[in-house]
Amino acid sequence: MEKRLLSLVFTLFVSAGLFGQADTSNVLKEVSVRFVLPQNVHSLNPAQQISARDFKSLAAYNVADAIRNFSGVNIKDYGGIGGLKTVSVRSLGANHTGVQLDGVQTSDAQNGQIDLGKINLDNVASITLYNGHSAELLQPARAYSSASMLVIKSLAPQFADDKKQRVKLGFKTGSFGLLHPNILWQRQISKRSYLNVNSSWQKSHGRYKYKVDGDGSDTLATRTNAQLSTMQSDAAWYWNGADSNRLQFRINYSQSSRGLPGAVVYYNPYSNQHLWNRDLFLQSSYQHHFPNKLQFLVNAKFAHNYLRYTDPDYLNQAGILDQRFKQTELYESVALSYPISGIWELSLASDLTYNKLDMDLYNYAYPSRLTAFSALTSKFLFNRLSIHATLLNTTITEWVEKGTASPSKSIWSPTISATYKPFDQTDLQFRLFYKDIFRNPTFNDLYYTRSGRRDLKPEYAEQYNAGLTYSKTFNTFVYFLSLTADAYYNNVKDKIIAIPNKDLFTWTMMNLGKVDIRGLDLGIKTKSALGRQLDFSLSGNYTYQQAIDVTDPKSSVYLHQIPYTPKHTVAINAGISSKRSGVYYNHILSTSRYYLSENLPQYYVPGFSVSDLSLSHQLETKYPISFTAEVNNLFNQSYAFIRSFPMPGRSLRLSFQITI
Amino acid sequence: MKQLKQFAFIALFLGTSIFQGCKKDDRPEAEPELPQAERKGIYVLCEGLFNANNTSLSYFNYEDRSLITDKFASVNGRGLGDTGNDMKIYGSKMYIVVNVSSTLEIVNPHTGASIKKLDLKQNNVGRQPRYITFNSNKGYISNFDGTVAVLDTASMEIEQYIKVGRNPEQMAIANGKLYVANSGGLDYPNYGNTVSVIDLKTLQETKKITVGENPRGVVADQYGDVYVLSTGNYADVKSSMTTIDSKTDQVKTAVNFSGGSMVISGDYGYIPASGGKLKVFNVKTEQLEKENFITDNTKITSPYGLAVDELTGEVFVTDAKNYTTGGEVFCFDKEGKKKYSITVGINPNNVVFINK
Repeated sequence: MEKRLLSLVFTLFVSAGLFGQADTSNVLKEVSVRFVLPQNVHSLNPAQQISARDFKSLAAYNVADAIRNFSGVNIKDYGGIGGLKTVSVRSLGANHTGVQLDGVQTSDAQNGQIDLGKINLDNVASITLYNGHSAELLQPARAYSSASMLVIKSLAPQFADDKKQRVKLGFKTGSFGLLHPNILWQRQISKRSYLNVNSSWQKSHGRYKYKVDGDGSDTLATRTNAQLSTMQSDAAWYWNGADSNRLQFRINYSQSSRGLPGAVVYYNPYSNQHLWNRDLFLQSSYQHHFPNKLQFLVNAKFAHNYLRYTDPDYLNQAGILDQRFKQTELYESVALSYPISGIWELSLASDLTYNKLDMDLYNYAYPSRLTAFSALTSKFLFNRLSIHATLLNTTITEWVEKGTASPSKSIWSPTISATYKPFDQTDLQFRLFYKDIFRNPTFNDLYYTRSGRRDLKPEYAEQYNAGLTYSKTFNTFVYFLSLTADAYYNNVKDKIIAIPNKDLFTWTMMNLGKVDIRGLDLGIKTKSALGRQLDFSLSGNYTYQQAIDVTDPKSSVYLHQIPYTPKHTVAINAGISSKRSGVYYNHILSTSRYYLSENLPQYYVPGFSVSDLSLSHQLETKYPISFTAEVNNLFNQSYAFIRSFPMPGRSLRLSFQITI
Repeated sequence: MKQLKQFAFIALFLGTSIFQGCKKDDRPEAEPELPQAERKGIYVLCEGLFNANNTSLSYFNYEDRSLITDKFASVNGRGLGDTGNDMKIYGSKMYIVVNVSSTLEIVNPHTGASIKKLDLKQNNVGRQPRYITFNSNKGYISNFDGTVAVLDTASMEIEQYIKVGRNPEQMAIANGKLYVANSGGLDYPNYGNTVSVIDLKTLQETKKITVGENPRGVVADQYGDVYVLSTGNYADVKSSMTTIDSKTDQVKTAVNFSGGSMVISGDYGYIPASGGKLKVFNVKTEQLEKENFITDNTKITSPYGLAVDELTGEVFVTDAKNYTTGGEVFCFDKEGKKKYSITVGINPNNVVFINK
């Protein structure tokens, strides 16, 4: 099967090599004012990147929106402005997607999933999704520890010679009663140091109309208890040394208060559940380059997360369910890299993470965990061939205050990647990668009173990928074209799932699943001139995923597609832009899915096709002003990613920004 | 786990032997009359999954052996809602209690058409109805908010709410009184341990009887005994059975007992048990009659609900399988041999019989 897919990819794209071969740096220079070459086309492992300037072309409001066009990505969006948004990459499940912010992983030891809806784009410079991990040699060992890694980079100040200070004031408003002001202040404090301070507020009633299917109603209902109020502040201090040594210190605090509208239950759609977050992290990083080309990178982080959940309609004696969760993380990492010879580079990284969870649950274990990551990476660069190999060791030790802790484990995880560039003149590259990684059971999986199981094994994900990348710049009205194609085979074993044990009141976590995943990711990007003033840009991604349950041949779900996994997904973004204005159209098509593991007609969730439109204009006055108008769900489609969690219909957002 | 079960059995036998003096010898005055009508088919209520709005009503037609997987939705153009928990026929109507949707669907069993959907809510907040039982043209619905709703089956209106203990579950009627299990199930680990006794003449709670921790199942036999099955606290407090004499409202016996619910037909109580077994308890001798009713090695993964057809003696056992995929209903003859099985929706919990 892998072989067949692979040969299909080859035949599809070998023709790409027939494109013209002439390009000169001269042309590159000339056209560079009108376009920026897409990043990461020829990455070692498949990587997709989006940077700040493209957020508006996608009508994106948060990180989840910004990456929804990526191929291989399956967003689980529970709807609405405050709804949980997680991302599963190549059907491996959201717990296998790591999220890294400025070089340091951001984690949730309790649930193992990061809500990407919570990260707004005000302070984001770029987002890159790596299948496997980044090819960066000098990086923390933990950067190798996920099946895929979403790397978010914050805005860093860059000043022209004469400027010492910049203030950006932004304001967003629109549907859902959204009021979202933000302020960004960048200042050069000394010759080599800078300050970047960002603060934003968000307030929204979150209400929207939706159609309930199946309860016999013929009018639209209103989603209530979806209000959201957040505040995020981030201050970062940068020091850039003369010899590219770099020091960075960041402090980030955010708090939010949100209603949880819950599933739309027929005949009883009201919820009064509420969630409060208070999250603080401090993070610092130092990178040093020695004259002998030895480099080292040190990272450290402290994070504290507080979460409170209430359900005033819970029918217990107290008349309310009120739970508080506190998580603390301490993290440090040291990484070294050294070029041994012209063709061989080595890196070694060693990280320690300490996590602790505290919650007011009866008979709770109060677990803490120390994880040591060590990674050795070897990179060979021959003429046209490059090979990266990483061996990661993860050693996990846990302690509990009640009962017995989950047994310690030490796991070796290998990755090997290779690229091959067959022609000097043509930007065509083949790539292969293999990664065997796991996700550790979360604190909830292990220790949640009654449902947790302390003897759970890790959930393993194995990935095989074969692909090719091609890019070309042209000396014609077409500026560039880039193509990527990857075929992959993944399998998940010892998948951690919850199953009811004895009765529906007692669910237990079990290592009880095997998934077999075969997929294809195709991507195209191009930009061309449309007359003298206008440019036309087009990007498209296609994903095919067959992700089937292979746990038990006797089961009724054997060989059935896993829940919420469409077979085909297409994302297209097209835009026309001038120097100051742009109009972009975004379209996502997802075929049907099943919401349960049994692929029966009664569990069918129809596919959807959703479009967004965005218009932007910039005024080049003394203080540059930009306006953006975005329409999400342009054709007012009624759809849902997750059944019983309807998505909003057409909505509008207006943004304004002035730079002083 | 096995040891635990053995312990429960030993405790059960010890318990019953202590109370040998309460043996029942008096036969009821007359044999209960067998229904004369002939069966047309059965309905199976499948509760579906929490927050998935997929409660379904399967209809199995005896005449042409055909099966409709969601009769209610196909007739009414809408679903039953979320987590259908109980279903009974009383008089000419069928009543379906839908827990999370907090509704009571009153249905014409011959057509499957909804006659009325009653909302069981207070200030928009669902009362979370659990079970329904009937007596003299009144329906009694236990609600997780600590009440029992009194339904007039003629007007199809709720007449009043009687306050009981925390998170009431099953109910049984004996000697003109309603016995309600106050589980306190939403207060883990501080479960309830009482049964409320309601005088059906005054509709007042007259007393609370202390029973085993976390009572959920309540059932009455023909001799005036009420059996209360308690789940325990999943840790040091084991599941138990408390027997109450409804004449005196005194506890007769209280023993460790594994099994969360019992369905009584004549002198036999059938108890779905772990390991796919169906235990048979003799309510006359108050002894475990059989470890397993099933005699032909039919494998049931997760026995979930049970019904006995008084007309034919057939025993229907529902199998929830892994609780997340489609379930199955097994029909056994009197001897415990499988006659047939049908595939139904997720988590089948109740079977009712429809007459011609």
